[in-house]
Amino acid sequence: MANKQVSLGDRFAEITVVALTVIALIAGWLYKSSIENASLAFNAEGVSAQAPKGWLQVEPAGNEILHTVDIKSTGFGATYVIQKIPTTQEASAAEVSSRLSLNYAQNLLAFRMLDQREVTVYGREAYEISYVFVESNPDLTHDQLPSVVRGTDYVFLNGDHAVVVTFQTDEKNYDLDMGRFLVFLRSLSF
Amino acid sequence: MNEAKSIHERKHVWRDEILLIVGLLLFVGVVYAVNNSLQPVFTPTTLLLTGVFLAIVPAAIWLVFFYLQDRAEPEPKGFVLGVFALGGILAAAVGIPVVDDLFRVSHWLRSDTTTTIVGGILVIGFTQEFLKYAAVRYSIYNSDEFDEPTDGVVYATAAGLGYATMLNIQFVVSNGGVDLGAGIIRIAVVALAQAAFSGITGYFLGRAKFESEQIWWMPLGITLAATFNGVFNWLQGIVTRPTLSLSGATSNAWMGLALAAVVAFVTTGVILVLVRRNLKSLQAGK
Repeated sequence: MANKQVSLGDRFAEITVVALTVIALIAGWLYKSSIENASLAFNAEGVSAQAPKGWLQVEPAGNEILHTVDIKSTGFGATYVIQKIPTTQEASAAEVSSRLSLNYAQNLLAFRMLDQREVTVYGREAYEISYVFVESNPDLTHDQLPSVVRGTDYVFLNGDHAVVVTFQTDEKNYDLDMGRFLVFLRSLSF
Repeated sequence: MNEAKSIHERKHVWRDEILLIVGLLLFVGVVYAVNNSLQPVFTPTTLLLTGVFLAIVPAAIWLVFFYLQDRAEPEPKGFVLGVFALGGILAAAVGIPVVDDLFRVSHWLRSDTTTTIVGGILVIGFTQEFLKYAAVRYSIYNSDEFDEPTDGVVYATAAGLGYATMLNIQFVVSNGGVDLGAGIIRIAVVALAQAAFSGITGYFLGRAKFESEQIWWMPLGITLAATFNGVFNWLQGIVTRPTLSLSGATSNAWMGLALAAVVAFVTTGVILVLVRRNLKSLQAGK
């Protein structure tokens, strides 16, 4: 294809189109973020947080005080759970984490612990456990292979109880969903 | 912008666009009838291969019509095919990853009406229309072969069908094949819509090359095409929404096809009128 001299007007028009597209995509990204980060105030048993808006609120079971699922996620829907677990004054976060891990190992398919460590989460001491398992809930309406799920729990000790914040999502979406979860984690107060 | 260089009109372009729409409707009807009467049984592999083949058919229909009629002053086959391929490559390499993986539109786009329209325009519309524009602007646009205003419509349609073909192949592959009923309608809808929106960009590209348009001319074209793209996606979601009743759910895929055909007919008609009016004014001022 024989190229001709491009006029100054053509060049400006071309730059304007590129700039307009970039501006539209940045605006689209900001709009996407505002939709994804939209939240609802949650407050129960002395624990409050900004829970994601538009997610399915599952009836809390056992020690759970919040259980919310992003039903628009592909594969295993991103899930946030807050539990308030009674403990003794002497219990350490590592011990609570061990109990959680044991419970997961008994109930989740192909459970594997990836990492566990002490961390500081927005100025608060916590114990982090990272793990993986295979989605095993029977679902006759789901015609896909079971998903590999990655999860991260943060255990915070608070007097005679521990607040455990759980994040589980499809392994493929883990990194992308983590940013949203950190916003949720930052909003947590108890 | 460049001075006016040509006042010809490649008249068969409009026939090609109309034949593409009619041909696609016939194509869907034939596949649907064959599927209903023969009820073929596929293995996973043959289902996938059949789907990929069907995804290519819309572009093949247009290319065949184009070459059968483009005899008076034929466009080089390699250039039209090249722009078609470029549209497909840009879709696979940039468009689909940006929309599906970076913006993950399936997670948030259908939240509500405003989000569907605004997000559809800003993310899907601008990404797709810019890439189709780029496929023409950075390849054939500065060539001697782009020598008539209607060439903008020809090459942009080729880029749009390349983009549509890749979207359809991705749909087929990610689903491990395609249902010959609803799937074939989706393939036709995507092809009709992409061709229609490309026609808008093509009209603006054609005038940009042969007339002294203002700096805002081409951005206006991309914005219009992106807006039509976003609004169409929203309307498509409404008209194809399944109807629930006590006897079960009814798919409205045919309504989506009807909408896409109407949009394609109207867009082609409007562009035809605008191009003709523009050519008349060019001829009068010659």
